[in-house]
Amino acid sequence: MANNSQDIKTHKVKDVILGIFLNLVLILFSITCIFPLVWMIYSSLKEKRAFNADIIGLPKNPTLVNYIRILTNSDYHLGESMMNSVRTTVLSVFLIVLCGFIVGYILARVKFKGNRALYGMFLMGMLIPIHSLLVPIYVVFNKVGISNKWFTLLFPYVAFGLPLAIFLVEGFVKGIPVALEEAAAIDGSSFSRTLWSIILPICRPILVTIGIISTFGNWNEFSFALVLIKDQALQTVPLALTQFKGQFASDYPKQMAAMLITMSPIVILYFVFSKEIIKGMVAGAVKG
Amino acid sequence: MLKTIKPKGWVVALYLLVPVTLFVFTVFMPLITAFVYSFFEWKGGPNKTFIGLDNYMTLIQDKTFWESFGHNIYLVVACIIGQVGIAFVLVLMINSKLVKFKGIHRTFGFFPSTIAAVCIGLIWNMIYHYQYGIINWFLKLIGRPDLCKVWLNEPNLVMLLVSIPLIWQYIGYYMVIIMSAIASIDTEIFESAEIDGANGFQRAIYIVLPLIKNTMIVCLTLCIAGNMKAFDNIYVMTAGGPGTSSMVMAMYGYQISFNQSNMGYGSCISVGIFVLSLLVIGGSQRLLNHFTKEKD
Repeated sequence: MANNSQDIKTHKVKDVILGIFLNLVLILFSITCIFPLVWMIYSSLKEKRAFNADIIGLPKNPTLVNYIRILTNSDYHLGESMMNSVRTTVLSVFLIVLCGFIVGYILARVKFKGNRALYGMFLMGMLIPIHSLLVPIYVVFNKVGISNKWFTLLFPYVAFGLPLAIFLVEGFVKGIPVALEEAAAIDGSSFSRTLWSIILPICRPILVTIGIISTFGNWNEFSFALVLIKDQALQTVPLALTQFKGQFASDYPKQMAAMLITMSPIVILYFVFSKEIIKGMVAGAVKG
Repeated sequence: MLKTIKPKGWVVALYLLVPVTLFVFTVFMPLITAFVYSFFEWKGGPNKTFIGLDNYMTLIQDKTFWESFGHNIYLVVACIIGQVGIAFVLVLMINSKLVKFKGIHRTFGFFPSTIAAVCIGLIWNMIYHYQYGIINWFLKLIGRPDLCKVWLNEPNLVMLLVSIPLIWQYIGYYMVIIMSAIASIDTEIFESAEIDGANGFQRAIYIVLPLIKNTMIVCLTLCIAGNMKAFDNIYVMTAGGPGTSSMVMAMYGYQISFNQSNMGYGSCISVGIFVLSLLVIGGSQRLLNHFTKEKD
């Protein structure tokens, strides 16, 4: 008996030590993930001189001067870039969800010659290393005359977003009983009407997942914007940031302020809906 | 019972027309164009000369291109060990009953993966900066200012230094994926293993790993595909430098095509990237399936 209770005691001590160790490691990990953001937030409230004197300390005289300078100086095109990013992201996400839904549904339900071939073609889009398209897409778009326009980026963003969207919708629709559509057809509902008023609401969860994935992907996309957009007035946010890097080379607080402004929509979205977003991203990654 | 719906053919065609055209135009047209132009000498101007396989002969002997390919592979290996490996260890830790704030770790850990690679690159530029960087600040703090360096100018270190932000950004991403896979395993398995006296390490290797095999394959595939197309971070942090010591394939193709406006050879490099990436992704897929099947 005595031996046994001692065993339990040493077990408990072991547990406590292990617990402290595990928690410490994970807390450290979480801090490293969030620290850069926190560091940027409080450093952006410093003036350049205060930052250069002490890069890690909290600001003694917090000021919004960096933000004011960036937002009021139209040479930086930050407001414009934000608008471009918002427009491009919203439109491309809408088109990905819409087209993904239509094509995914048709490929899952309608029998026609070439159905599987079409499905295979779209799936190939997931395998194709899209960065091998950087140069050729520039060549083709220039030739056709659609590079460097406000709608230019919609083409690659929608085209590269479609394969995953179609794949997810197709799989989802296959899980819906066909009886539903048969009943609708018997009641005299046309194909289009069934598609929009019966299937669409059922597919909502998977469409939300697709929307989340494409929103983050398209807001952050850089390489195709770099190649296809030359006009400063048309650039998206990541492109604007790389230019700030040159302009504010030694003015870190200003660079940080600019980054925080451009990150803000994503950061706010993330921390408000983190559960849904994490779930959606993981579902997309695992099924894809 | 019907297995399919039979709408009118023209309705379906109408619905499919726009998405399919857009997809073919944006994905397949450029691929074919690149293939065609890869047989030409073309400096971006109006003149193109057919030169047969000359570009490909150059490519095969192009040391910088193969060095870049090597760097892509370096990133793949570093990220498999760093991202998936560390993520797996963290998941084992976080699943312990003794750990608190699991939700917060998940939310914070996942956070960096939602930020643009450009931002991540810029942030790490600041961390590595000679005068105002956190690393040199820390070295001065612990009294070793002699170790301070212009970090990203060190040819021997630069690949390691650019992979750290990449690894850091996605640890939480893989952590969450693996967590959700483990959450779907029956907990009874763990309990019976514990009763049988399996320790934590044994449980991880012999019980957890085989059960989440498919998820691990997904993680590895994502990791491989993701790093074959590395570009954003490199562009922002080093642009392939110093010299070519951190050049990756996409960066090299970009430089040849746009900085030297050698579009013919740039197209040839694009075809090279296409073929090599497919080979690496396809080959690793084969390998993974082969190994995981043997274990069964």
